Amino acid sequence: MNAAECTAAPDRAARAKQKSPAKIPVKCRRRNRFIPAFLIGAAALAVLGLLYLDIDWLKLASRAPDVGRVFWDLAHLDFSNLDLIASALVETVSIAVLSLLYSLVLGVFFGMLAARNVFHVPALSFLTQSFFTFLRAVPTPVWVLLMLVCLGMGPEAGVAGLCVHTTAFFTKSFAQSFESIPGETLEALEVTGASRLSIFFNAVLPAALSQIVAWAGMRLETNFSECAILGMVGAGGVGFVISNSLQGYDYGTAGTAILLVFLVAYCIERIFVRVKKKFY
Amino acid sequence: MEPILKFEHVSKHYPNGVHALKDVSFEMAEGEFISVIGPSGSGKSTLLRAVNRLIPISGGTVRLDGQAVSAQRGAPLRRLRRRVGMIFQNYNLVYSLSVLQNVLHGRLGYMSGVNGVLGLYSEADKREALELLGELGLGDFAYNRASDLSGGQKQRVGIARAVMQRPRLLLCDEPIASLDPSSAKTIMDLLRDMTQKRSIACIVNLHQLDVALNYSTRIIGLSQGEIIFDGPPDRLDDATIEKIYGTSRENLMIGGSGDEQKNTADCA
Amino acid sequence: MSKRIPLIARDLKRLYTGFLLAAAVLFAVCSVLTQFNVMTLIANGGAFWAFITEDFLPPALPKASRIPGVLSSVVVTLALAMSSTTVAAVLAFFVSLFGSEKVSPFPRLAKAVRGFATFLRNIPALVWAFILFSSLGIGTGVGFVALCVTSFAFMVRAFVETMEDVSQDCVESLQAVGASFPQRVAQAILPSCLSGFLSWFLYCVEVNIRASTIVGMVGGGGVGLTLFSYIKSFQYDVALSIILLIAAMVIVVDQITAKLRRELLK
Repeated sequence: MNAAECTAAPDRAARAKQKSPAKIPVKCRRRNRFIPAFLIGAAALAVLGLLYLDIDWLKLASRAPDVGRVFWDLAHLDFSNLDLIASALVETVSIAVLSLLYSLVLGVFFGMLAARNVFHVPALSFLTQSFFTFLRAVPTPVWVLLMLVCLGMGPEAGVAGLCVHTTAFFTKSFAQSFESIPGETLEALEVTGASRLSIFFNAVLPAALSQIVAWAGMRLETNFSECAILGMVGAGGVGFVISNSLQGYDYGTAGTAILLVFLVAYCIERIFVRVKKKFY
Repeated sequence: MEPILKFEHVSKHYPNGVHALKDVSFEMAEGEFISVIGPSGSGKSTLLRAVNRLIPISGGTVRLDGQAVSAQRGAPLRRLRRRVGMIFQNYNLVYSLSVLQNVLHGRLGYMSGVNGVLGLYSEADKREALELLGELGLGDFAYNRASDLSGGQKQRVGIARAVMQRPRLLLCDEPIASLDPSSAKTIMDLLRDMTQKRSIACIVNLHQLDVALNYSTRIIGLSQGEIIFDGPPDRLDDATIEKIYGTSRENLMIGGSGDEQKNTADCA
Repeated sequence: MSKRIPLIARDLKRLYTGFLLAAAVLFAVCSVLTQFNVMTLIANGGAFWAFITEDFLPPALPKASRIPGVLSSVVVTLALAMSSTTVAAVLAFFVSLFGSEKVSPFPRLAKAVRGFATFLRNIPALVWAFILFSSLGIGTGVGFVALCVTSFAFMVRAFVETMEDVSQDCVESLQAVGASFPQRVAQAILPSCLSGFLSWFLYCVEVNIRASTIVGMVGGGGVGLTLFSYIKSFQYDVALSIILLIAAMVIVVDQITAKLRRELLK
């Protein structure tokens, strides 16, 4: 804040008083113009988008009572197919956990390649990062769909599809964690003549371990969510049960399945809140 | 003459079992400058916030100019609150707004809903706010973001905001706890001068015993929700101090030259 | 003979061993449950690779007449994501004002409001899409509603967190001054929390670009549906181009939102 700005204010206020009835300003001088511009831009884009989509709002509104009826039907839980739902749920959770475990290992490996401070080969890091950014930009169900096409039906497609996206995510996160280790620590070890690989396993990995566990926990929630969805595009699991029963108008079963999905997701969330509290 | 503030057997306990205030009774007349002292957890904050019902009480009555505070809700409560100014340990300013806007917030209790929401303050209010800022030495900062200021300056903005309410009573919750010694003295001097000049009664929560002894006309000592001492500073002896804080004098960092008696002729 | 000297503290070692054991057990159990054999995957790797190179590569462009249609479906996906997030943000702002005990004029309702949002949030967008599709039929409008519901639930929680982090103090001071609830919202909450809210909004846009593609795939329209139809009709080489297009779209949006968020922090 320079002297010129300091003296300007009382002069302006005095001038404002003199040329009454002009109004005295109240807002800051150094205003951040960005936020109002952003708001206007966002509103404009949203309105344009809505106009482009040309949604028939009246038709939607007229069918709103149907939604109420569907929810009512869903609430009439039907437990007769509980064994089917339960086994599908178990399968879903297993796929989620399994892909998480595989992705953890792969993520550590690729993260090692992608982190700039492990092997000090910039081209390698850049290529790895770019490749996985591409992988991550494509939503998981697309990958699963591809895997289904290539590998046929079965759990392989689900696990492989989930792995692609999860590994890409871990690669970026772990690379970040590895790079956050201070350069001096690694330098000190290099000077002793240790190889890059052994530095990685003895220094970088242990230091990043707690962050890795944190990322893993966070990702389990998302994985389970994505896994539940997978069935809807054909990979089996509880998603398939839900979409099947909805399309077959078996709302009772669908409602039960959805409720169970919600309960499992909620439990996972609660468990990790506890674990985080315990470790931090 | 009606006391400006009256506590009648006020008590407050929280759902978790904490008994913050136990049968607190006292009266306050116009022009008094009361310091409330006591260890952490003694109920000082609760007592202060009971005055403008930021914390609702469990039993007894708090009367402001004869009116019972606890019974009020909605618009009548707001009309009551605008007559009571408050300044906080952490200043509680809106940091993304200008200093002037923060001071003008003091008038919100007097403005209609729409005017307040849109920030349409009257020109007279704006002029008064600018003069007040000048009086407090912040005239050059009126159009700066509140976050640009130092701690002492922010607290002065807080004082300006409270004074803009043209209050009858000023509540100060640990106003100097986050300030360095020089800013702290400035703030306490300002509080004493402003409240004297404008005939505003003042209650201040303080940790610093020497400051309390220096500035107040009356001291209330609180311990575990009960009033242990209520009287002028010169009657506060070591035995009472030890009773309030629950530990012997050697264990207390009183500040100043703790062994001498304070010269109470300097008090307001 | 001396015992092996341990390298890390005993109980830490026990903790790590515990984790490793748990992971190993989980691995074994899940592999059995899903009958997933990584060996079959690797064995099929050869066929997998051949499939990729023959059918997917090289990426081919769709027929010239179809290209405008494909591009417009990208615009549909973007429009869907942007508009649903904006509408959800506005609704979430108003509801979140009632979701925080310190801010809301009805503190006792706050827990219920948050609970409702949690319930909505833990059901994935696609499930919502399916429920709404079966009641309202397929179409972009329904996709819009599905995305709106999940974004709304997420942002209510995010906004309430922001409010409690940032504006608690100044809300208290405006209460003390005698300001009414709308005045407190406009003069304390909005100025202090707005950039935080917008940051969350941008994050939701990022998430919704991907969600919009998925919801599109199952009937909401947009580029997801286009991709799905090309896959179903076995035109894998064109499908690959569409995947590249989707990736490009997501990356561009991610860059834009990252830049905007940096501007917000200033």
